[in-house]
Formats: sequence, structure tokens, C-alpha cells
Amino acid sequence: MSLENDATESLPAKPEPTVDGDWNRVHPASPFVRGWVALAAVGFFFGRDAFERMLQGRDFMDPNLSGRVPWLLAGGAVVLLLTVGGFILSWYFTRYQVAEGYVRVNTGFLFKQQRQARLDRVQAIDIVQPLLARIFGLAELKFEVADAGESAVRLAYLPLDKAKQLRATILARAAGVVSGPETTEEIPEAPEHVVLSVPPSRLVGSLLLSEQTVGILAGAAVVVAVSVFTQNQTLFLALIPGVLGIGAAYWSSFNKGYNFTAAISPDGIRLRYGLLDTQAQTVPPGRIQALMVTQPPLWRIFGWYRIHVNVAGYGVSGSTEGAARTMLLPVGLKPDVLRMMSLVLPDPGVEDPERVFTAGLDGLGPVETGSSTSDGFTTTPRRARLLAPLGWRRNGFLATKTALLIRSGRWWHTLVMVPHQRTQSMALHQGPLARRFGVADLVLHTTAGPVSPRVFQAGVEQAVELFDQQSARAREARKRQTSEQWLAQVAPQAPEVAATLTGEPAQPEPDIHPRTSPPQEERHHG
Amino acid sequence: MHTEAIDPPGVQWLRVSPKYVTVRLVEWAIGNVIMLAVLSLPLIFVLLGWWRWPPLWLAITVPAVMLVLALWRLVLIPRQVRSIGYAERDDDLLIRRGIFFQRTMVVPYGRMQYVDVAVGPVERSLGLCTLKLHTASAGTNAHLPGLPSAEGARLREQLSARGEARLAGL
Repeated sequence: MSLENDATESLPAKPEPTVDGDWNRVHPASPFVRGWVALAAVGFFFGRDAFERMLQGRDFMDPNLSGRVPWLLAGGAVVLLLTVGGFILSWYFTRYQVAEGYVRVNTGFLFKQQRQARLDRVQAIDIVQPLLARIFGLAELKFEVADAGESAVRLAYLPLDKAKQLRATILARAAGVVSGPETTEEIPEAPEHVVLSVPPSRLVGSLLLSEQTVGILAGAAVVVAVSVFTQNQTLFLALIPGVLGIGAAYWSSFNKGYNFTAAISPDGIRLRYGLLDTQAQTVPPGRIQALMVTQPPLWRIFGWYRIHVNVAGYGVSGSTEGAARTMLLPVGLKPDVLRMMSLVLPDPGVEDPERVFTAGLDGLGPVETGSSTSDGFTTTPRRARLLAPLGWRRNGFLATKTALLIRSGRWWHTLVMVPHQRTQSMALHQGPLARRFGVADLVLHTTAGPVSPRVFQAGVEQAVELFDQQSARAREARKRQTSEQWLAQVAPQAPEVAATLTGEPAQPEPDIHPRTSPPQEERHHG
Repeated sequence: MHTEAIDPPGVQWLRVSPKYVTVRLVEWAIGNVIMLAVLSLPLIFVLLGWWRWPPLWLAITVPAVMLVLALWRLVLIPRQVRSIGYAERDDDLLIRRGIFFQRTMVVPYGRMQYVDVAVGPVERSLGLCTLKLHTASAGTNAHLPGLPSAEGARLREQLSARGEARLAGL
């Protein structure tokens, strides 16, 4: 263990070395947990033939091969040794460190890779436990920075306690609570308060009433109709793979959404879910770039909604895992939705947020006037109703002091919320038809994710006005956000905050996350 | 320079170099002449009697329609180039383009992650360059073609400096 940086590694005072400063290794069993498929494949390849022979009561080995048995055994042993040796080497050369505001990971023994990520750039931290790792009490830690590709840092696998402790350390340092280069005391996990959970019955109901089900029923009806019409019964056989695929899709949604729990802590929003594979996500305050509430038509029966978010590190992977990670709420009632929205945007910037959000979720503009503002939302002007015969009363936007709310969809109710300081850039679009009706679309650009905010068919005057005001609002909001360290940012002694405060008389409260930022002491004793 | 309905009021647009029309013409020629040639092959074969299918009217219609579309695009090029405009404001850069499908985009300086200047062979011979702005969003498809090289370099420096002064996190 004479690698250049581990001077402190060999003499820890405690039986378990602190995670700060030292170079640490992941759990020795992790390559086997990660690579069990490879081991199983080797075993299967060599074992299957022999096993079948034994079942059939024949010789253990094929008599034709008897002369080559030693070679085969040697070959198998070499493959096994190489695999296991590779595992051990990859384990030995994978080391990580959390120090001086960075998390560093070194991997590889032939092609070395050294990676470091700034802690205050953290966008989200996930602790993932696939089933096998869960059996062994191990967990994978994923550290996301703003790069829509792969996770910046993946530590697979750590003992669960250690992963949690590492997460607490990273979050505390990223939040600016702990700033010293070396801290010997263990940083406790930030206290959390469970906000809501999704009962399994509701999850099942939501899956049964999802768009997927509607599509399946429609498809099944077509198949039945065709088979009756053509009197061809073999058509049902063609359905079997489809049914299996659908079953797998439902199972994966159920497996991912099971036992969904949302909690709030000073470190941000915590989400936990999963039946066999469990996942715990932590999204620090202000890291959610955009939020979308949707309601498929059938969910209206029970008043259910779901929430998707854009988080810079999560990206837009089409896999079920990516879809699950960007899900802030798989299914919930309106109070749940309002609660989650209040967590994402602690200061809604309006007097009566409940009325405004309700109008955004289900509201409909009045028939008679164009560009109504009766419920706060500016809708598509009446003159453009031919362009959107169903949606023109629904399409609308409302800018609060802190966020832009965009609603759309007569059948698929959709409400998109983009905090002003998260707006990247904006564009007004207008095609020839829209110009004829005097409307324009406003597109807000946000990081990659399931939410793509767009104001549909707003009147030209309102759209241009919004375009202008929105850039001003985004600018103001950005000026208020001074630090990436979310707890340090609201501390009164931080000089840069004071500086911007004096320059910003119009904004009385600099506290962007008032509900999620208790004083520092509470963290350590809580 | 006239402004369109969706342009913010009171903005003085700077236009890109008229020489950019040449770049677009070269691009148009490369794209459309090759495609027209390929699409005309069936017509030639049918006329020569080598092919029995497609029928003559189809063999004529397809390249004819493509030719009309190509000519239409050719006619539009100068107006399209004239419609590209940009304006540096105190805190953001405005970029507009398009005549039928118009787009006006605003990119705050503080949101810019990096600025690219790209020069193709035709652009280089004309002393032009293309400026590309990147934010954290893939949706920000902000490129500003046909800038004179000096103006491109000036903009790049200017934008980088302003971006640094107003840099915000994500």
C-alpha cells in the first residue's frame, strides 16, 4: 500500500477511518457483486454440459473429450483466475477521497483515470441498492454534476452505513457547513422530515389507469377485431411477446415506484423508492431546473397527478432508470402536488399559491374574452381559437415573483414551472400561420430532461412583453443567488450576500430557501 | 432595418455580412445539385428505355417538384441572410433569424458556458466565421453565421468577458 497519497491511511485512531482526507477503497466484495454476471456466465458455460450429462445418467465428461480434459480444466481455471484477478486488481486500484472541496476517484491499473469533481457543483446524490447489493448490505453512491452524460462519480459498492455517511459528508461540505480541511468529528446525517408517501394501492391504480393501459386496450381491441374479421386465431399467438413485454413494463414501473417516500431535510429533497432495487435520491435546494405536473385523462377520475423534474446531472436517458430518477412524484393527490411544489419553490412569489397552482393544474380561461387574466393566467387570445380549438382556453402562462408557470393541455393537463434563476435562454417562435393569428410561442431552454417548457400560442403583445420581462426577472433572480453553497448562501456573515443585498433594495428577503435552511447548529445536534 | 412583430421593441439589430449569401449559395448548390442529379437518373433511364418503371409522369414530376423547391429556397436565401440579426444588450445577447418561421432568442451573458468560433473553407475564403454560444441547455441552439472575422473575434472576446463578469452557476 505504498501509493503516494496515503500517508494517513495506515494509522487511523478509530477502527473505521474517517472519510475525510484519506484515500479509501470500495468494499472488497463489490467487483463480485458488480461482475456476478461474468462469473455466472463462466460457470454456466463450463457447468452446463457436465450437468446435463449427469442428469442423463451418462459419464461426467464426454468420452470423446477425455483426452483433452486437462486442457479444458486448465483453460477454465485460467479464465476464472483472470476474471477474479481482474476483479481484485480493479478493486485495489479504485480509490476515492473527499477533501478540500473535491471528491476524487482514481480507477484503472493499465489505463489510469483520475477524476475529481467539485463538491459545490453537486446537482444530486443518489444511493442505489440493486437487489444483490442489498442482500450483502452494500450500496452504490452516485454523485451527479451538471453533465447530462454519465454520473461524475460512481462508487460501487460501499457498506450502506458508509455510503450514507459519505453522502452526509459531501452534502455538508457542499452546503458550506463544514469548511475545514480536516474534521475528525463524524458529520451526522441531516435530520429529515417525511413529507409524503405513496400507498401501493394508489400506485397500482395509477399504473392501471395510465396512458400505457389505454394504448394496450386499444391495441387489444384492434387485434380482437382483426382476428374476428379474418377468423384467424393464430393472431393471438403473435400477442404473447407483446403481453410479456407489457408485463415487464408494468413490473418495472411497480418495482421502481413502490414505497415512494419524499422527505425534506436541510440538504434538500430526499426521495426513496423501490421494491427489490431501492434508491435514495438527494437533490439539494435549488438544483431542480424545471418541474412538470401532468394528469393523464383517466387519472382525473381520482384527481391524481405526477411530477417530473429536470435536474442537471440526471440527463434524459430513455431507460426506466432515468425515467424513475426524474420522477419527483409517481402519483399523488392535489395536496401532495402542492406540497412537493412548495418544496421545490419554497417562496412561490404570489399571495395565494394554492389558488394559483390549482388554476394552473385544472383551470380553464373564460370563453368570451380574449387573453383573460381572471385566474391570473394569460391565455391564448380568442382570435387564435381555430389554431388550438381545444386548448386555447387552457394554454396560458403566469409569472410570479420567483417562477414562471405554464399550463397547457385540455386532455393531458400539464403545468410546467421554471424558477426564474434557472432559465438558461429563451426564444420566441412564430410560424406563418401563427403570424396570421397574431400569436407566438415562447420556448424556455433548460437543462436536458423530461420537461421542455413552452408557452403555446400566446398573443404576440403578451409574448413579447413576457420575453422582455422574463429576461429581466431571470437576471434579478440570478443576482440574488450568489453562492453554490446553499447553507452558506443565507448565512448573514457572508460578505458577498451583504454586498448584493445593499445593491438590491427591491428584494427584501435574500433567503431563497427559507424552509430548508435552519441554522447551522441544528444540523450537528439534530 | 425593419423589425418584425416578435422582436422586442427598441432593439437596433446588427446584420451579418452580405457575403454570407455566397456561403449559403455554395451550400445550396452542393446540396441541391447533387440531389437533383440523383433524382433525375430514373428520368434519364426511362427516356433511354432502360427502365420500364417508374412511369414517365412520375419520373418527371419528382425531379420537377424538387427543382421548384430548390429554386424557391434559392430565391429565399438573400432574404434569409438579411433576416439574421443580433444585438448586444447590457445583460444579454439577442439573435433573430427566419422570415416565415421566425425565431428571436435571448442568451444571458451569465448563462454562457463557452463560445465557439468555427470557420469553414468557403467562409475562410470570404473572411467570415460562425459564432456559436453554448449554455447548460442543449436547447440553446444559438449560432450566428456570416460574421466578418474581426467582428467574430471581437464578439467572442466581448461575450467571454461579459460572461465572466456575470457568471452564475446553473
